[in-house]
Amino acid sequence: MSQSLAKQCNEVKERYDTCFLKWYSEKYLRGAASAESNECTTLFKEYSACLQGALKERGIDKLLDDAREDNKENDATFLGRKKCQMRIPGH
Amino acid sequence: MVLTHTTNHTYNHPFPTVTLAFFLRYCSPQLNPFASHVLSTDTISSHVDPDTGRLHTTRIHLKKSRMPPAVMKLLPTSITGGTTDKASYILETSVVDMREGWMSTESRNLNFVGALSVVERQLYAAPTEAADAGKTDVETKVVFRSRLGERIRDKIGHPIQQSTQENGWFARLGARGIQRSIESLASTKTLDQLGKSREGMRIILEKLRHTGIIGVLELRKRARERGMEAI
Repeated sequence: MSQSLAKQCNEVKERYDTCFLKWYSEKYLRGAASAESNECTTLFKEYSACLQGALKERGIDKLLDDAREDNKENDATFLGRKKCQMRIPGH
Repeated sequence: MVLTHTTNHTYNHPFPTVTLAFFLRYCSPQLNPFASHVLSTDTISSHVDPDTGRLHTTRIHLKKSRMPPAVMKLLPTSITGGTTDKASYILETSVVDMREGWMSTESRNLNFVGALSVVERQLYAAPTEAADAGKTDVETKVVFRSRLGERIRDKIGHPIQQSTQENGWFARLGARGIQRSIESLASTKTLDQLGKSREGMRIILEKLRHTGIIGVLELRKRARERGMEAI
């Protein structure tokens, strides 16, 4: 079973994942989902609260900020180009 | 330096099922034997945009040694910490638009980005031709970029800072040459992994075809219970 990063969040993550997959396949994919209400929201809040500490502890919140900065820089570099240069090794 | 690789593939499964398989692909090694390198998966945000009806999801995966060992060997211990077996955090963002029939995904490594940044973008789409109904096209584009030594190269104009170990190391081997080697090694390994990840998706798609989502959830639950007994 895919675990949570933080052991203490495994149980709530499992409940959230199951809820999400059911909602996704039975409602979202059938066009029956509403943006405001979702039966998994409460579970997600609980899961998210559990995860926050672990993200901070492992410095992932900082890595996420760096990734956002990096993204801005990449967008500036690549969107300005007409076409990306392509090299396929072994072909 | 930047190296880009693009591939196209068609799954013989309908678009909604393929998007579901995308969310399920790391859910259990029992479901996907090609996911045993995935140590953890967490959702950090998930919401439906009220204007577009699009589902935006952000997840973080922890994967075993995303950096190819050959790349790790090229790096000074000041960067790797002296080990070749490190785990990488991968940030995955995805947007699903069921009305328009497409899903776009992006995965990027969060650590070691200075040495090597790998950004994989995928676009899944339902085919426009009626004859192709029940199939899903996916375009995968991977961008490899190494910026190793760039900051250090900037320093070369300042002679006072030139005597550090890293400067000596880069000066000997040439930062550009190292960047190119890293990108090309990583790209070779990733091409191999793309095949495996596609194979993993295919296995999940087959299970979904045979048992549906409820069957897959049941299988996942049983796998978890077995895992708990083992502990």
